[in-house]
Amino acid sequence: MSAEQVLFWVFAVATVVAAGGVILARNPIACAMSLVATFFFLAGIYVLLWAHTIAAVQVLVYAGAIMVLFLFVLMLMSLSDQGPVMTFSAWRIAGVVAVVTVLAALVLVFRRLPAQESLAWSGDAARLGDFGTIKHLGAVMYTQWLFPFEAVSLLLLVAIVGAVVVAKARV
Amino acid sequence: MNIPHLTFQDLLPVAPAGVLVVGAIVLLLSEVFLSTAQRTYQAVIGTLTALLAGAVAMNNAFEPARAALQGYVVLDPFSQWMTVLVCLGTALASLLSAGFLNHRNAERGEFYALILFSAAGMSLLAMSAEFITLFINLEVLSISTYALTAFLRRGPRPAEAGFKYFILGAFSASLLLYGAALLYGATGSTRFLDVGLALPQAFAQQPGLVYAGFGLVLAGFAFKVAAVPFHMWTPDVYEGAPTPVTALMSAGVKAAAVVALVRTFLFLVKGLSPEVPFIAFSALALLSMVGGNLLALPQRNVKRMLAYSSIAHAGYLLLGVAALFAPATAKGSDAVGLFTATPLLGSMPNVAASVYKGLLFYLLGYTVTALGAFGTIAALERREDETRSNTWDLERFAGLAQRKPGWAAAMAAFMLSLGGVPPTVGFLGKLYLFGAAVDAGLLGLAVAGVLASVAGVYVYLRVVVYMYMRPAPADAPAPFRHWTTEVALIASAVAVVALGVLPGPVTEWFSRAGMVFGS
Repeated sequence: MSAEQVLFWVFAVATVVAAGGVILARNPIACAMSLVATFFFLAGIYVLLWAHTIAAVQVLVYAGAIMVLFLFVLMLMSLSDQGPVMTFSAWRIAGVVAVVTVLAALVLVFRRLPAQESLAWSGDAARLGDFGTIKHLGAVMYTQWLFPFEAVSLLLLVAIVGAVVVAKARV
Repeated sequence: MNIPHLTFQDLLPVAPAGVLVVGAIVLLLSEVFLSTAQRTYQAVIGTLTALLAGAVAMNNAFEPARAALQGYVVLDPFSQWMTVLVCLGTALASLLSAGFLNHRNAERGEFYALILFSAAGMSLLAMSAEFITLFINLEVLSISTYALTAFLRRGPRPAEAGFKYFILGAFSASLLLYGAALLYGATGSTRFLDVGLALPQAFAQQPGLVYAGFGLVLAGFAFKVAAVPFHMWTPDVYEGAPTPVTALMSAGVKAAAVVALVRTFLFLVKGLSPEVPFIAFSALALLSMVGGNLLALPQRNVKRMLAYSSIAHAGYLLLGVAALFAPATAKGSDAVGLFTATPLLGSMPNVAASVYKGLLFYLLGYTVTALGAFGTIAALERREDETRSNTWDLERFAGLAQRKPGWAAAMAAFMLSLGGVPPTVGFLGKLYLFGAAVDAGLLGLAVAGVLASVAGVYVYLRVVVYMYMRPAPADAPAPFRHWTTEVALIASAVAVVALGVLPGPVTEWFSRAGMVFGS
C-alpha cells in the first residue's frame, strides 16, 4: 500500500463518518460542524486527485463562506437541542424506498460503465502534469479565457453595488 | 503558454459597453465627492454617457461582421444596432428618472450607475458568442435590474416585485445554465460555433440530451423575454418597479434577450433541421400574442395593462424569430414574397434580411414608444394615499386633454403606436415584421398576430377615450413636471411620429447585408 492509498483511506473513511454525523447528530450546530469536517476531508481527496484548485476552492468557499451562512441561519432560528423524534409515517417510508431506488440505480449505472484504460487509476497522480493545479488554471484563465474573466469582474462590481443599494436605508 | 494577441480592432465590439461602464463608475464616484444636494446633473451625465456609447455602437454597426476577442464575442451590425437602441432607451430612461426620483427625494448616483451597468450588460449579452460569456453578461444585466427594481422601497409592493424578480430570474438563469451544461456535455465545447459544428453528430448519438439542452436554454430565454407561458412574473414586477425602470426593462432587456436568443439558436441549429426550434418559437409567439393582448383587456391599472401589452409585444418579436427558422427561410429561399417583392426585380432578396430589418425596426419603435408611455405614467401616477389599485388607475387620465393638451396628445401618440395605428412608428414596425413573417410563409401566424393586435387596440384606445372624452374628476391630478421628463417625452413623441412618417435612412441601415455574423 503506497502512502497515497493510506491517505486516501484515511480521508475516505473520515469523510463518510463526518457525513454520517451531519444527518445523525441531534444538535443542529453539531450537524453544521460535521459538514465542515466533511468538506475538509473531501478537499483532501481532491488533493490526492491532483485537483489542487478545487481543493482550495472547496475549503475557501464551502467550508468558509457557505458554512458561515449556514451558521447564521441556525443562529437566527435558535433551535433547541431537542430535535424531532423519529417516527414512521407513510411519507417517510416512501422516502426511504425512493432513496434506496436511486442508490440502486446509481450503483447499477456505475457497474455498467465501460472500463476505459485511460481512466484507470494507476496510483500515480503526477502523470497528470500541470492539469488541475493553480498554475494551470491561472495560465488558462488569463490567456484563453481572458474575456469571460474580465466580464466576471464587471459582474462582481455590479453585484456589490446592487447589494449596497438594496441593503441601504429606505429611500 | 500562448499570450493572447489583442488589437484595437478586437476591442471595438465591447467599446460601447466600456463607455457605459466608465460612465457608471464616474456616477458612483460623483456620490462620494458630492458637494451639492442638487443632483439632476447625474441624470445628465447618465444620458450623455448613453448617447456617447450609442454613437460608438453606431460607428461599429457599419463594420463588417466578424468574431473578436478570441471568439467570445462577435462584432456584427445586428448586435451593434441593438446596442444603439439600448443606449437610446437608457438615455431616455435616465432623463425620465431624474424627474421621477427628484419628486420622491430619492436621487442617488447609484441608481443611474445601475442603469448604465444594465445597459452594458444588454450590449454585451447581444454580442456573446459563447455560453459562459453569455451567462455572465446575462447576470450583469439581471443583477442590475433586480437592484433597480427594489431601489425605491415605498409605494405599493416594490419589495415583493424585487424579490419575485430575483427568485424567478435566478431560477430561469439556472435553467439556461443547465441547458448549456447539457449541450457542453453533448458536444464538448461552449463556443456557439464549435457546438453548432459538433451537434449533428451528437444529435445522432444522443437526441434526448440535445433536446433537453435546447429546451432548457429556450426556457431560460423565454423567461427573460417574458413570453407566455413563462410570463407569470411580468405584471407584478413591472408594476412594482420604479416606472422609468419598468420602461427600461420592457424595452431594453427584451431587445437584448431576443438578439441573444436569435444568435444562440442560429449557430446551434446550423447542422440540424430547424423544424424543432421553428415549432417552439411559433408556439411561444402565438401564445404570447394572443395571451398578452387578452390578459391586457380587463386591466384598469394602466401600468399593469402596459406590462401585459409588453408580453404581447414579445410575442410579435418571437413571430419574427420564428420566421427566421421557417422552412422557407432555411432553404435560403428565392421564393417570391407577398410584401417585400419588388415587381421590378421580380424576386425578393433574402427573407432573413427582411426579418432582421423587421425585428430591429420593431425594437426601435417599441423602445421610443414604451419609454414615452411609461414616462407619461410616471409623471401622472399617484403619490399620496396610494394603494395598489388607485396609483395607476385609468381615472388618472380622465379629462387630461382639457387640462394638459400637450401631454394628452403625446400619450395618445404612444398609445396609437403601441396599437400599431398609422402614422406612427408602431404601425411601420408591425408592417415590416408581419410582412417578413408572411414572406417566410407564416401566413397563419401573421393573421393570428394581426387579429390579436386588433384586440389590443381596444386596450390602448380606452386610454385615449378617457383622456379626450371623459370629464376630469374634481381632484384631477396635474402631471408632475420637471424639465428632464419633458425633454424625454417630447423627444420620444417626436420620434414616434417622425419615424412613422419618414423612416428615412433607418430602414436602409437596418436592411444591409451581412447583418448577423455567421448566418
